[in-house]
Amino acid sequence: MLNLNQMRPYLHLFLCFLLFLFLKLPAHAQSSSIRGYVRAADSGEPLIGATVSVPALGKGTVTDVNGYYMLPLPAGEHTLQASYIGYTPITRRAHTPADGKNKNIVFLLEPANNELKEVEIASNSLRQRLNDTRMSMEVLTTREAKLLPALFGEVDLVKAMQLKPGIQASSEGSTGMYVRGGGADQNLMQLDGTTIYNASHLFGFFSVFNPESVKSVELYKGGFPAQFGGRLSSVVDVTLNEGNNERVGTAGSLGLISSKLTIDGPIKKDKANFIVSGRRTYVDVFTRQINRLSEDNEDYSPIPDYYFYDLSGKLNYQLDDENKLTLSAYYGRDFFSFSEDGFNFGFDWGNRMANLRWEHKFSDQLFASASVNATKYNYNLKNAIDAYSLKLTSDIEDYTFKTDFDWFLEGGHSLKFGSSVTRHYFGIGHLNVNSDDDRLNYTAGNNYHASEFGVYASDDYQINALFSLNYGLRLSAFNSGGRTYTGLEPRISAKYNLDENTAIKGSYASMMQYVHLVSNSGATLPTDVWYPSTKNVEPQRSQQIALGFTKLFARGRFLLTNEAYYKWMHNQLDFRDGANLFLNNNLEAEFLFGKGNSYGNELYLEKVKGKTTGWLGYTLSWTFRQFDEINGGRPFPTRYDRRHDVSLVLMHKLNKRLSVTASFVYGSGTAYSLPVARFAFQDMEGKGASMVPIYEERNGFRLPPTHRLDLGAVLKLKSRHGEADLTFGVYNVYNRRNPYFVYIDHVKDEESSQITGFQAKQVSLFPVVPSITYNFKF
Amino acid sequence: MKVNDCLLYLLPLLILVTGCDLEKDIDVDLPGHASQLVVECYLEPGKPIRATVLESSGYFDTLAPPLVPDAKVFITYQDRRIALEYKPYFSTTSTTFYTHSSDEKVKGRPGDIYSLEVTDGQGRKITAFTKILPAVPIDTIEWSFNEEEEATVRTSFEDSGNTENYYRYMVHRNRVAVGTVRDLLATDNLRDGKRISFGSPYDFRKNDTLVVSLFNIEKQYYDFFSSVSDAKDANGNPFAQPSRIKSAVEGGIGIFTNLAYDRKVVIIK
Repeated sequence: MLNLNQMRPYLHLFLCFLLFLFLKLPAHAQSSSIRGYVRAADSGEPLIGATVSVPALGKGTVTDVNGYYMLPLPAGEHTLQASYIGYTPITRRAHTPADGKNKNIVFLLEPANNELKEVEIASNSLRQRLNDTRMSMEVLTTREAKLLPALFGEVDLVKAMQLKPGIQASSEGSTGMYVRGGGADQNLMQLDGTTIYNASHLFGFFSVFNPESVKSVELYKGGFPAQFGGRLSSVVDVTLNEGNNERVGTAGSLGLISSKLTIDGPIKKDKANFIVSGRRTYVDVFTRQINRLSEDNEDYSPIPDYYFYDLSGKLNYQLDDENKLTLSAYYGRDFFSFSEDGFNFGFDWGNRMANLRWEHKFSDQLFASASVNATKYNYNLKNAIDAYSLKLTSDIEDYTFKTDFDWFLEGGHSLKFGSSVTRHYFGIGHLNVNSDDDRLNYTAGNNYHASEFGVYASDDYQINALFSLNYGLRLSAFNSGGRTYTGLEPRISAKYNLDENTAIKGSYASMMQYVHLVSNSGATLPTDVWYPSTKNVEPQRSQQIALGFTKLFARGRFLLTNEAYYKWMHNQLDFRDGANLFLNNNLEAEFLFGKGNSYGNELYLEKVKGKTTGWLGYTLSWTFRQFDEINGGRPFPTRYDRRHDVSLVLMHKLNKRLSVTASFVYGSGTAYSLPVARFAFQDMEGKGASMVPIYEERNGFRLPPTHRLDLGAVLKLKSRHGEADLTFGVYNVYNRRNPYFVYIDHVKDEESSQITGFQAKQVSLFPVVPSITYNFKF
Repeated sequence: MKVNDCLLYLLPLLILVTGCDLEKDIDVDLPGHASQLVVECYLEPGKPIRATVLESSGYFDTLAPPLVPDAKVFITYQDRRIALEYKPYFSTTSTTFYTHSSDEKVKGRPGDIYSLEVTDGQGRKITAFTKILPAVPIDTIEWSFNEEEEATVRTSFEDSGNTENYYRYMVHRNRVAVGTVRDLLATDNLRDGKRISFGSPYDFRKNDTLVVSLFNIEKQYYDFFSSVSDAKDANGNPFAQPSRIKSAVEGGIGIFTNLAYDRKVVIIK
């Protein structure tokens, strides 16, 4: 770690780096370019990440968050293609003027085969991915995710993302993500640029991102752009849908466990629009009824009450040609309660966030945005037993101001630079125990606050038709409790085209993480709390290198990508055996610090054109941690160390009304700790011995492998108004009992109840689960 | 109840949704286990010195009592080494199985140190120490009734300040030899030097006889007992982290400690 004095040379280096960028600008100031926007023809909303290219020159670019692009080209006639996932690509001829002048072209893309919502990805988007300097990146749209079979018919973008190589689920059906050996807390989850701290509902089985409100998800596994910081292992950038500029529309779905409704439309034609989405589960409606009918049965144990809902919205206001305001907001909450015989347990948790963003166009080359946002995650746990009550709460609350600049320069430079400052408030383990008569009263808990800073600059430099470079630097700092940490985070990605259809790529990224998740559950739970770096808790750090190649073949219909990576992780956090993470005013005493490493290879084959599309992913990986106080100091595999991970996704369009999909996953057995021995323990009172399990190696046992086939079908219905379809799904078609956990149980003699032996038992979560969902849009 | 345990209430909800038997027997090939000596020895002032010495077993080994007949047990107090005789028996009064015992009674006073040594024919050796603690007096035991005439009982005492103290609070109905109705382990980290109270649900009725015990326990016993509970909890709880046993003895597994307690008998009126 560096203190501010030690940082000074790095600050100079950073300033020199910026100067280097800007001093180079005039040399390229006289080239011409074609620039403009790519928008959806049906709604007018900007398409972020759309590709605009000139195939004949092998040149291309992608649109920014406003749907804006700028493509430097030599003067003359060119054929341009614009494409975006789920939209029909457009080809247009255009003349680039000479003498450094620019031409504006707006592309309006029609949704591809709107009736069946089929994903049609133009082959030139694959070519763009071939030519993209960035690597270790996955993109998924809601349109794509909606085609995939989903558990209970609940489309979930995070789970769909887990079908990509290098991204593993914490357990079957879970939205917990482990990216290239990183922990669940090492993913920066952002919704419209605002951090979401606990991005899951119901035990982590559903993500907080309602697919009806989300446009797309971009996930970076490595080669992180300099504008992102604060987490070690991934950036999950979720973009909310834009409202419809043309007319008021309604879309929704009725599913097995939840319903969703979205309304969007213009507020002021071509000036302002809105979109509001909501969803709620309704299993509680049925369980309450079952409980009510069984009230008179003394042996009946009531089913716990559970539901969640979330609301999201976005408001866009185009002030003029140069200025735009966007307000995004999200509010989601889970509720769980259980009551029986004087025992009342209530638990609610959730996220809320709001983001106000101002975008300003200084010129055709220079764009800026400034945003202020607030985000909060908290949980409240209330437990009342007769005359006594317990309340436990924790929260994290952030206020962030950030600015970002995009400067499109001739000569192949695209600069990004900006800064951010975040004020964190942590409320950790606030406990209050009371009795009815107030004679019993315990309190505990701590509050912390901290400030986090980041300043960055990067250049996406197209050196020539074959070679491109994206290099950048991020300087981060964190202040908490009188201690300041700083970090210098260089990032670089490079791409070189060996031939027209083959490119090799490499990247290096250094990352810092200043906030840490306090969780020893091995799963993502609502009770996990965030903790700041302090005097005694140093920030986590990582370095990652990745090397790969990308190849297009079969006339551009298939894209093959292979990436190998190695990641070093420092100051990794774990907890002492038996750590008390809830009722503890000295939580840091329970922390252990160690290191980790992860390495592997990811192979990805994708087909995007024709009636049958899909992908095949295969990941071979190793992930270890090492702590002096755990496992005798020996390195041990993490729970999510998965040697082989295979996913196959196929989507086939049978006819105009019917398309079918299948996904198959296989994962090597999860590393797991099982007791290897036992001893009898009588305790000071005797009264019969109990068996105590003895654990030796941490995660030294492997659960059986996981594999599963899911099938789905989308049937378009004839509808007088708008569109409607039925989505059928069968999760776990061949009813595989995948292991959730394993334990060792007593075997007892039925008559004498004496223990006669022991038996290992495997518990699974999901058998075959059929589902049906009705979707509508009008 | 631990917070993670509360989340287990959600599991039935999931199983209700999926509605199937999702548990099955499987074969597991566990690695070999090098058996270790296991000792339990609780010194109680005025009571004979007794110990239980067994050994650990592989999880799927046969259930034969893992006795260690050649184990030798010695207690040392004030430079006097007391040999415990190997004489397995079950004490009906303390409802405990002992393997080694002596007629010598525990005479130590608070602050005195006892040591334990266990050896066997395989060359295994356990050593341990315990420091006699003073009992912490129970200050008050009070109760109140709800509308159904059920009583909640609260026990209070004063914690001594500026020291880390560890307690075990137990309530038995009628007599100690029968089942425990309340058993709590606690530290004073949130109430150092202050009055501490333990409550109960409305579990009692008029004329119930309660035996209320407050044990002032050593940290090593608190750690060992907690790790035993955590280890049991981890086997079958997918949200629990596996826990190694924090043994209070060197060279094996087990506990060597002393029992310093205050005990009161009350009748709910």
